Amino acid sequence: MMAMLKRCCLVLAVCGALRAQLVIAPTPEAVGPARGGDFANYNIVDSLELGYRWRLAGGSMDTYRSDVNYGDGIRLLATNLSIDSKEGHGRWFDEILLSTSGLGNDPYQTASLRIQKNGLYRYDMLWREDDYYNPGLVISGGDHLMDTVRGLQDHSLTLFPQSHIQVDLGYSRNIQSGPALSTVQGFDTLSSAFPVFENVKQQWNEYRIGVLADWNGFRFIARRTWDFYKDDSGYSLSAPETSGVATDATVLQQFQRSEPNHGSNPGWFGNVYGKRKYWALNARLTYNLGNGGFAMNELTAGLNRFGAADNRQIVVSGDAQRPVVAGDFNISLFPTSRLTIVNHTAVHDTRMDGDSYFTEFDNGTGAATTLNFKFLGVLTVSNATDINYRFSNWFSAYAGFTDSGRQIRLLEAFAFPAVAGSEARYPYQQESRLNEGSVGVRFRPFQPLTINLEGEAGHADHPLTPMSDRNYHTLGGRIQYHSRKLQLSTGYRELYNENAPLSFITYGSRSRQYNAAASFALRDWLAFDASYSKLHLDTVGGLAFFAGVQSPQLQTSYDSIYISNIHAANAGLRFDIRRRADLYVGYTITKDTGDGRASAVPAGVTDPIATLLDSVQTFPLTYQSPMARLSIRITPKLRWNAGWQFYGYGELFHLLGYDQNFHAHTGYTSVLWSF
Amino acid sequence: MIRRVMILVTRGLLLVALPACAAAQNPGASGAGGYAGSSACKTCHADIWLNFYKNPHFKSTVSGDLPPSRTGCESCHGPGEAHMAARGGKATIPNAFSVMSQAKVLEACLTCHARDFQKANIRRSEHTLADVACTSCHSIHHSPTPKFLLAKKQTELCYGCHAGIRAQFEMPSRHRVNEGFMECSDCHNPHGAFAPTWRMSDRPRMVDQALNNEEPCLKCHVEKRGPFVYEHPPVRVEGCEVCHFPHGSTNERLLRRPVVFTLCLGCHNGGASGTRNNGVPIATGPHNLLDPRYQRCTTCHVRIHGSNADETFLR
Repeated sequence: MMAMLKRCCLVLAVCGALRAQLVIAPTPEAVGPARGGDFANYNIVDSLELGYRWRLAGGSMDTYRSDVNYGDGIRLLATNLSIDSKEGHGRWFDEILLSTSGLGNDPYQTASLRIQKNGLYRYDMLWREDDYYNPGLVISGGDHLMDTVRGLQDHSLTLFPQSHIQVDLGYSRNIQSGPALSTVQGFDTLSSAFPVFENVKQQWNEYRIGVLADWNGFRFIARRTWDFYKDDSGYSLSAPETSGVATDATVLQQFQRSEPNHGSNPGWFGNVYGKRKYWALNARLTYNLGNGGFAMNELTAGLNRFGAADNRQIVVSGDAQRPVVAGDFNISLFPTSRLTIVNHTAVHDTRMDGDSYFTEFDNGTGAATTLNFKFLGVLTVSNATDINYRFSNWFSAYAGFTDSGRQIRLLEAFAFPAVAGSEARYPYQQESRLNEGSVGVRFRPFQPLTINLEGEAGHADHPLTPMSDRNYHTLGGRIQYHSRKLQLSTGYRELYNENAPLSFITYGSRSRQYNAAASFALRDWLAFDASYSKLHLDTVGGLAFFAGVQSPQLQTSYDSIYISNIHAANAGLRFDIRRRADLYVGYTITKDTGDGRASAVPAGVTDPIATLLDSVQTFPLTYQSPMARLSIRITPKLRWNAGWQFYGYGELFHLLGYDQNFHAHTGYTSVLWSF
Repeated sequence: MIRRVMILVTRGLLLVALPACAAAQNPGASGAGGYAGSSACKTCHADIWLNFYKNPHFKSTVSGDLPPSRTGCESCHGPGEAHMAARGGKATIPNAFSVMSQAKVLEACLTCHARDFQKANIRRSEHTLADVACTSCHSIHHSPTPKFLLAKKQTELCYGCHAGIRAQFEMPSRHRVNEGFMECSDCHNPHGAFAPTWRMSDRPRMVDQALNNEEPCLKCHVEKRGPFVYEHPPVRVEGCEVCHFPHGSTNERLLRRPVVFTLCLGCHNGGASGTRNNGVPIATGPHNLLDPRYQRCTTCHVRIHGSNADETFLR
């Protein structure tokens, strides 16, 4: 039995270790029979992996930092600690779980901690930090570069976790800070945009307290939350800038903007759940009152686009409110052991509150405007029913229907408090109804094999955007063979959306996904894993825009076409060499072949507008990453690891003239100590 | 030969005597409703029992105030006396999970877990409709993960079926799931979620709501939550996916198109949609698309997710 267990664990470990090695990262621990040391009545298992990362990168470092971002230096690549009471009656705690990764300057750092004592308390903590870098080249010509750090943490304490009455306390924090580039238009909306330095300072804190009570077979949850948001990012100009455009003489000599935005979102949450032999119900209600107070003081000085000295000051202040209510009622019926019927009703209401006001002073133009809020209200009511029936142990089916109605109200004519009779009104109201039906069948002809087929068709009579669902359907299927050593699966899914609004504009989108995956643990020392996916997307939509060589004219005869054919594959092979060394080699590739064209603009196209549109219809590129890792057992408690991973990114056409290609060798060497 | 016979006899006596001794040590549990008590199980299943103190279900054993039907091994596997009397065999275990149908596995686990808030929508989840049962993802006795008794690391579990999603997370612009910074459950509830409060509330069904009732993207990207004086209606109504691929993309910033003007003009084309009587407004005359300045819309429209100071999101 023990031998079988060990073998089973080893097979699981082999599969786990194989799939874990997607990125050069901490070495996954081998899983096996219990290890660690005993102290008092506790079992302690610990491991530490300390190592050094290196990189050699060439090409666009901006794209490298955006896509990969690993750098040089010493890291505590991973730690894992567990302390468990063997009797479940520890004095202060029964379990401590601590795991970390990437501490000490990796771009992605995490730590999680759980401490609990049975019946008394459970504390969970999650801390994460992300170095975010984005050059924003194609999107905005590099003007919206961001080099920030985002830190996330969450603390949750549950008192009496196995009792009929439990108390939850929680705190979450989310901060983002660091330098960035924003843009500003000099003195009017026709001038060029100038890059300005942005010092990002954003902070969000949430506090929670809740009670859970079990009574007479029902569970009630009530929670109160308060969250506070602060954005104190500042903007400035370090040196005068010119537009660089012959027709625009704007010179930005001075720019300063402060834009504090502080808000809070007090909220309520309630849930009730109950279950009997033939039915279960579940209801939820939430309410959040979003408050935001903001002010802006922007000062611009320099030469306007005609070359005349100019200055402009814009002062804005106001408050925003956005109460959001969401409710759900979910009832499940089980009239027989084969049949389950679930009905779900959901209501969601968002509205910008109209009581607040917004004031803008433009010293440059001498204008002052005070107006009530723009109003946006969204009310959605949906009802969905699913019927799930099991005909036999190997065949079952389900069918579902959803009816959803949405009302959007928009106020674009403002009420001017100083002007009698200028009452707020709803200049636009849109209602949309969506009906959707779905069916699915499942076969399990024998235990390891499952076959799923599903389909869905829906119609919305007034979608919000051309990209929203209007006449759509999905078809999907999956075949999966799953045994202890061998897993095979293949699947297909398509989503077609034909969106044809009432005017001349049409929009159609077709996406198809094909995939196949295999995972094979041939021996306890050899495992193989591979998958392939093809993701196809083609869309066509009508366009209306101004363009022209001499002067811009309204253009409505062009279509927006986008075609993507992404082939993605990965494979990995793992050898365990005489239980002394572990070797992994892997390869991943993402290749978008676009629509197969060899140049961004097909030969013979001379129309400048068609040339521009053709050049953005497809985006062929290759992103590939081979890797290898070696882990050698020096002693039962000590391993030496080394890894290498290459990243190669190559676009076939350099969109809008930006060369973003890069290649990089990254690697690490580390020592893993465990006991 | 004599030694071998003695060993066999001793083993036989032990097989009979040990369960009896164990039952005698746990008299309150034995007998009632066919329950033998967990102490009896460890005689033969020592391998599981030796590590069971690390299992979250161990709490039921140590609490001391739960009925036999909710204590230890028998709380999941059912009364064990018949199994003991037959000296083993899966056929005598009321709930032998390895041979149970997916539906019965689900019902067995929901006996206790049905009232967990995270599982409130499990009967309408796409996993349940696709016959994915608890044991498809969870390994109760041989879990290699420290939390939630997962059969594998979470991302590996999900990739096992969702190879297409794995491909998206290997694209150049992506959320950092493979790097270990995020997990699928940061945004998804694999046990099913309430109806989304964005789009038309119909789908997807497995995306968790954050901040009580909002799209999970806003859990991290809180600066885009607002409220704003000037909301960009598609962001608030349709959600972030109207412009972004949530998992990964070959385009910068997870966008659906590599060049931003093609994305913006997809809606701003005067078609009779949007929130105006005449459709979404098209770019005005000065926006000459042949001028490179107007090909990168967000260079000027910097607050595209919502603004407090400008109706066209310029500041």
